[in-house]
Amino acid sequence: MKRRDFFKTSLAGAAAAMATSLEAGVTGQPIDNRKISTIAFPEKRPMITYSDRPPLLESPRSTFANAITPNDAFFVRWHMPDIPTHIDPKHYNIKIDGLVNKELNITLDFLKDPAHFEQVEVTAVLQCGGNSRSAFKPIAGGIQWGHGAMGCAKWKGVRLSDLLDQAGLKKDAEWIGFNGKETAAYYETPNFVRELHLDELDDHVILAYEMNGEDLPYLNGFPLRLVIPGTYSDSWVKMLSNITVTNKNKKLFFMDVAYRVPDNECECETPEKKFKKTKPISKMNVKSIIGYPENGTVLQTKSHVVVRGVAFDDGHGIRDVKISIDNGKTWKSAKLDSGEAGRYAYRGFSLAIKPMKYGKMTIMAKAINKIGQEQPLAKDIKWNHGGYKFNGIDVVTVDVV
Amino acid sequence: MKKILLIAALTMAPLFAQVEGDIEVPYIPFEVKMGKGFGEVNANCLTCHSFGYVTNQGRQSKAFWRGKVDKMIVHFKAPMTDKDADIVTEYLFEEYGNGKLK
Ligand code: HEC
Repeated sequence: MKRRDFFKTSLAGAAAAMATSLEAGVTGQPIDNRKISTIAFPEKRPMITYSDRPPLLESPRSTFANAITPNDAFFVRWHMPDIPTHIDPKHYNIKIDGLVNKELNITLDFLKDPAHFEQVEVTAVLQCGGNSRSAFKPIAGGIQWGHGAMGCAKWKGVRLSDLLDQAGLKKDAEWIGFNGKETAAYYETPNFVRELHLDELDDHVILAYEMNGEDLPYLNGFPLRLVIPGTYSDSWVKMLSNITVTNKNKKLFFMDVAYRVPDNECECETPEKKFKKTKPISKMNVKSIIGYPENGTVLQTKSHVVVRGVAFDDGHGIRDVKISIDNGKTWKSAKLDSGEAGRYAYRGFSLAIKPMKYGKMTIMAKAINKIGQEQPLAKDIKWNHGGYKFNGIDVVTVDVV
Repeated sequence: MKKILLIAALTMAPLFAQVEGDIEVPYIPFEVKMGKGFGEVNANCLTCHSFGYVTNQGRQSKAFWRGKVDKMIVHFKAPMTDKDADIVTEYLFEEYGNGKLK
């Protein structure tokens, strides 16, 4: 073989090797160029739309320039196609049964009455466990979300613990099952039922009927949903209608098979060798998303740009958000908002930058929480079969002209 | 006093008005590509969810599509014959495949 030929083939070989190593699992940035639909869903402005039945809507990146997500841009995720099309709040009941001293069957009005229950508020992030899933390679099962399966709202409702106190838990009570009004199209399909262990339920868990000062939007679970600050949204049951207390957990697809990660240190595995033992995704890891500028935004050189975004974790709170505009060589701390919204809320961040060089510029954001956990680079995030818990450092690339 | 009460009543009203009457979720006509097996897909894959669930996955391998069809049958109890499962897998790979078997 001639020397020149050798070079050619070894280069081709290298390219091929790179391509396969990418496919064998280097995590990247999620898909970020999905179009906003022209069709608006009830009470929503047009959003990125994956499905109408059940409704699956994603918030566009620009939503994350603000620390509160407006109700009409808040993402939507249902599992089952049959959702009631009419709800009469006057006749909507919540039933609590099972291992309780007194079964309750209460109306919304009763629940909202301060004479019966203290009305409480919490600002908390609601994020799908599979948010940003499209970052994983090879493809991990489920909806290929970009970054927009998350939002933050001020929720108002009553404490689950107050409700359970009124019913009175029996001594052997251990599991609390939650069921909403969505149902499968086929009678044998497992319904979307969630069970939580009593230990997982603290005073912060509420049954919310209000979101950002309005009734819950229909598609976000009107008239009542569970809010479990700090955890992924798989158990934030919508259109909540039944709470059942038991001493043994049931076999449930959406508990035992879905929404689980490998039960090892890295919560990772490979497509060829899945890790047998799994655990629920539960607590959210530290994450930040840039809301402005976005991928492809055109910025003028020497213009005054304010990078804005949101950061959050599972309730430890955000200590710092660092921004890099030189591919991660140097980092500068962004200004954080007052934090008044509390430790479960988005912490808004902003940083003034001035693009100096023509061409492509990347902006990276990395959040660090109060116990020192920080976001890894996307490429350092190892694969898991469900594509859960992606929290790679966010990267947007803008054009400086 | 009267005035305050009136305001309270007014601000209460819109809360319920948001879902007055029936809610209608719009219908989105996700395209299902014509091809061999189109009929079987229509008969078996659109009962529980829109076709958006399928196209959203992007172009994938034959093993991937086989896995999805099996998941529907095993976990979600999709009632379909083995023959239809094979036809649907072939269809998905043909129309939404990436050319790779695995
Ligand atoms: C009996 C009900 C049912 C039928 C019939 C059905 N599916 Fe599904 N499918 C589901 C459920 C339930 C989910 C998960 C829903 C969710 O989590 O939002 C799902 C999800 C999916 C997904 C998303 C990826 C994933 O792993 O969750 C794909 C792709 C899919 N189905 C393809 C198909 C195809 C192809 C057919 C026809 C062979 C089919 N489905 C028929 C119930 C069904």
